[in-house]
Amino acid sequence: MGNGARRRWRVTAAVVALTATVALTGCGSGSSGGGDGKVTLKFSQWWDPELPKGALQGLVDDFEKTHSNIDVQLVSGPYASVQDQTFTNAAAGTLSDVVGLDGAWVSDLKKQGALANLTDLMKESGYDDSQLAAQVKEDGSTYMIPAVNFVYPLFVNTDLLAKAGVSAVPTTRSQFSAAASKVTALGGQTKGWVIPLSTQNPNGIQNDLMSWAWASGGSMLKDGQPDVTNAQVTSAANFVKSLYDAGDVTPGALTLQETDKVTEFTNGRVGMMIDSLSHIDTIKQAAPNLKFTVAAIPTTDGFSGKPGIPYAAWGLGVSNSSDHKKEAFEFVQYLMSKDVNSKLSTLANAFPGNKESAPDFTGADPLYQQAFEIYGKSTPVNEFVGLPTSEELMRDFDTNFQKALAGDQSVEQALAATQAEWKEKF
Amino acid sequence: MANAHATAVRVAHRASGERRPRRSLLPYALITPTAVLLLVLMILPLVIVVANSLSSQVVTRPGGEFAGLTNFSQVLTDPTFWPATLNTVVFAGASVAVHLVMGLCFALLLNSPLIGRTTAGIFRTVLILPWLFTAAVIAVLWRLILAPTGVVNYGLESIGLIHDTVQWFGDPSTALFAVTVMNIWAGYPFFMLSLLAGLQGVPAELHEAATVDGAGPWQRFWSVTLPQLRPIIVSMAILDLLWTTQQFALIWLTTGGGPLGVTEMLSTFTYKLAFGDYDLVEASASAVLVLLFSLVVAVFYVRHQRRADA
Amino acid sequence: MTTTTAQRTRVQRAGVLAALTVAAAVAGFPVAWMLISSFKTNTEVFAYPPRIITKGFSLDAYTAVLSDPTKLRFFLNSYLVALSVTLVTLVVAVLAAYAFSRYEFRGKGLVTTVIIGVQAVPPITLIIPYFSLIVALGLYNSYLGLILTYTVFTVPYAVIMMTSYFDTLPRELDEAVKVDGAGPLTALFRILVPIALPGIVSVGVYTFMIAWNEYLFALTLTQTTDRRTLPIGIQLLLGQTTQNWSELMAMSLLGILPVLVLFLLFQRWFIGGLTSGAVKS
Repeated sequence: MGNGARRRWRVTAAVVALTATVALTGCGSGSSGGGDGKVTLKFSQWWDPELPKGALQGLVDDFEKTHSNIDVQLVSGPYASVQDQTFTNAAAGTLSDVVGLDGAWVSDLKKQGALANLTDLMKESGYDDSQLAAQVKEDGSTYMIPAVNFVYPLFVNTDLLAKAGVSAVPTTRSQFSAAASKVTALGGQTKGWVIPLSTQNPNGIQNDLMSWAWASGGSMLKDGQPDVTNAQVTSAANFVKSLYDAGDVTPGALTLQETDKVTEFTNGRVGMMIDSLSHIDTIKQAAPNLKFTVAAIPTTDGFSGKPGIPYAAWGLGVSNSSDHKKEAFEFVQYLMSKDVNSKLSTLANAFPGNKESAPDFTGADPLYQQAFEIYGKSTPVNEFVGLPTSEELMRDFDTNFQKALAGDQSVEQALAATQAEWKEKF
Repeated sequence: MANAHATAVRVAHRASGERRPRRSLLPYALITPTAVLLLVLMILPLVIVVANSLSSQVVTRPGGEFAGLTNFSQVLTDPTFWPATLNTVVFAGASVAVHLVMGLCFALLLNSPLIGRTTAGIFRTVLILPWLFTAAVIAVLWRLILAPTGVVNYGLESIGLIHDTVQWFGDPSTALFAVTVMNIWAGYPFFMLSLLAGLQGVPAELHEAATVDGAGPWQRFWSVTLPQLRPIIVSMAILDLLWTTQQFALIWLTTGGGPLGVTEMLSTFTYKLAFGDYDLVEASASAVLVLLFSLVVAVFYVRHQRRADA
Repeated sequence: MTTTTAQRTRVQRAGVLAALTVAAAVAGFPVAWMLISSFKTNTEVFAYPPRIITKGFSLDAYTAVLSDPTKLRFFLNSYLVALSVTLVTLVVAVLAAYAFSRYEFRGKGLVTTVIIGVQAVPPITLIIPYFSLIVALGLYNSYLGLILTYTVFTVPYAVIMMTSYFDTLPRELDEAVKVDGAGPLTALFRILVPIALPGIVSVGVYTFMIAWNEYLFALTLTQTTDRRTLPIGIQLLLGQTTQNWSELMAMSLLGILPVLVLFLLFQRWFIGGLTSGAVKS
């Protein structure tokens, strides 16, 4: 096949596929205007299963009351499948009009041209963005608005710690190590700490490893470039390895998943874990008798700066292929408005993305209020937000770190290998 | 490929037996639904995958160029590709071998004239159970029973077989073993059923003749039963090899390819390329490699079918 | 002499029964454990040491599943899809198998090769372009999309097996009907299909199982809860935070019940049929 023929073949294939896709997606995707001028918006997210039953639908119903021309249809699923679906849909141009986003996805979705430029949409609708606590930007424009933020504090099983003779919740790493080994010494199936490192969903690197570095003011980036081999990351990784080597960590860490972490804690088999605040309700429901509290993540001994606290956001974006971007943004605006945002964040045990909103503590869990205080004293950090293929970055880190835990290489070698792999992807 | 074609043509000719004078449009009408389905929903996507694997950007998106074999060399030089291939071979080889042995043993037991019909029926039902579950459930179930605090560890510890809890899925030295055992459990019933049916087809006269000749049960098994079952065994083994090589859900939902990549298979490798790196062209190249391997096996299958027909 | 033979038979029978019991215990254990877990409370599922007899035996998990319209919808969807796939596959495959078994036609060899070859296509290979295609055809998030997809995966196997069943039936059968003036389709549906019924049933059960249990495509090709099938529904119970283990077990067990009933109803035919296809295909 000559060059020309080859090109023709390729172009033809592309054109056929594209025309077919474009011609038919109109009827395939649900965002079509009805006969009565009503617009139907699809809103895909993993929030619904994580909120109290029917809570999100309640917010949607309220929106539809005041916006009689718009119908909002919830497309819900658990996090992992929403993630897979978001990317397959983006590739096929069938993303829902309003998309629930994780900060880690933004860079790749934007690269595919799947997300609408929210800066433009805000301008068009005259939206005042000064009320937003944060915006996730790519090349100077906003592509995601964090609707609510979850912090990841330290969860402490107070009964277990008391039984092990630890009177105060640890605030430094050495106190933490000591507490962990005392809890482990209780014997049976009990361990001091748990870290899930399954490569299936390598979130553990962000939530359970990097959080130690961030808590003590560390960073894994320097001028937007990877800097994984610096002293702070190294010391955090070494700290985790020392806990692992001491046998104070729940066995099977290398293939444990996040759900296993929560399960172990819920069943009182682990003294401490770093976890999303959103899990308070789940844990209380599953184990009403479990006594636990939340605290700031311990820092390095003698650390005196403002501590960092890892957070994750439920973000909002608008699909670039939506025919109703204006209406979609109206819904985003609604979710970000002062009262609704307060309500949403209270429902989710999270902190509002609107600066003017305040979570409603009446009748809420005291732990939630306690976490709010921790939040106020710390800087929220999540350096994986906005990085390219951030999940794969975590997976690279994870794979190398696993080798260090297994003793195949040193922590320093693992970080150096991670650094090299990350450089290629930036 | 050409070879496979020729083989299949021969198969077709032989299978059709006597000459048939009728030449009408009817046979074409009869196969049209099958042909259309396969063409649109199987061949067309396959062509797109192959096109993607030879391109620098997915063909459905603008800006791609013909990339030759770049994607393939990228995949073939990926440090995890060859270990993944090796794992797949071990996983699939062990699964198929044990499926076969287990399936045959269970089938022989169930077919024994010494037990009554009802008893056989009850055992058959119990032994078929693993086949009825969807992969997601099997994965969850095995994670539960093989957990460090799960019932298997507890049982083994109670009877003193092990002293420390074993992290079946989490320990690099046992993880591949654990996923293989799980897959064996999930897949043996299909073998068992097929072989059971085959055993019922072994003519009783053959056994009687062998007994008259003074053959013991063991000899009868080797010289009468096994040769009779050979065609089924080969068919099943090849199909099972293809299915096991493609196994994704069971591994993904238990170990995700870890720990330390010891359970990384070609299927999980491909999935990570596509949904982790969002590198769809390399993922397509990897997929085409798996496909080529499968085709080699398919050619053997076709060959075998030809012999079975002869 | 007679006593020794009788004794030996008794010993042998005991041996066979013992071996079967061990096999059933090992193979059935995970399922039994699942059944036990489904009666436990959520925390008890993880209690250590594990309990065989649950303290607070409860059917809550079952009531929860059976009283939740969303979850019942998953069952309904699965029935609808699996039964349609079985029906479509059987019709399509019987027609094609008739052509392969009874007619000579140009291109027969090529089509045969393709049909055998596509059995080797790993589904994961196809998922990305397949998704775009289904979207382009406007079949995304529809029953039809799922039904066609599963049919594509089951038809090749079904055609191969059905062809070999028809091959085992003497041609005189359908010729006799044709002599009476009936057309070839009458011959097929009046004569061949009834005789080949065991084979058809076994192909049907196989097809049903595939469609009932498929996960990867069901996840990718559907979007809203009202179109999702049981395997996805089960997976939904394993959300990021909510892990309702006993309900998960209950739902899985309820999920295999219909398949088990199907198997028990048809097992005589099924077992007879499965092989003649495999041997001769």
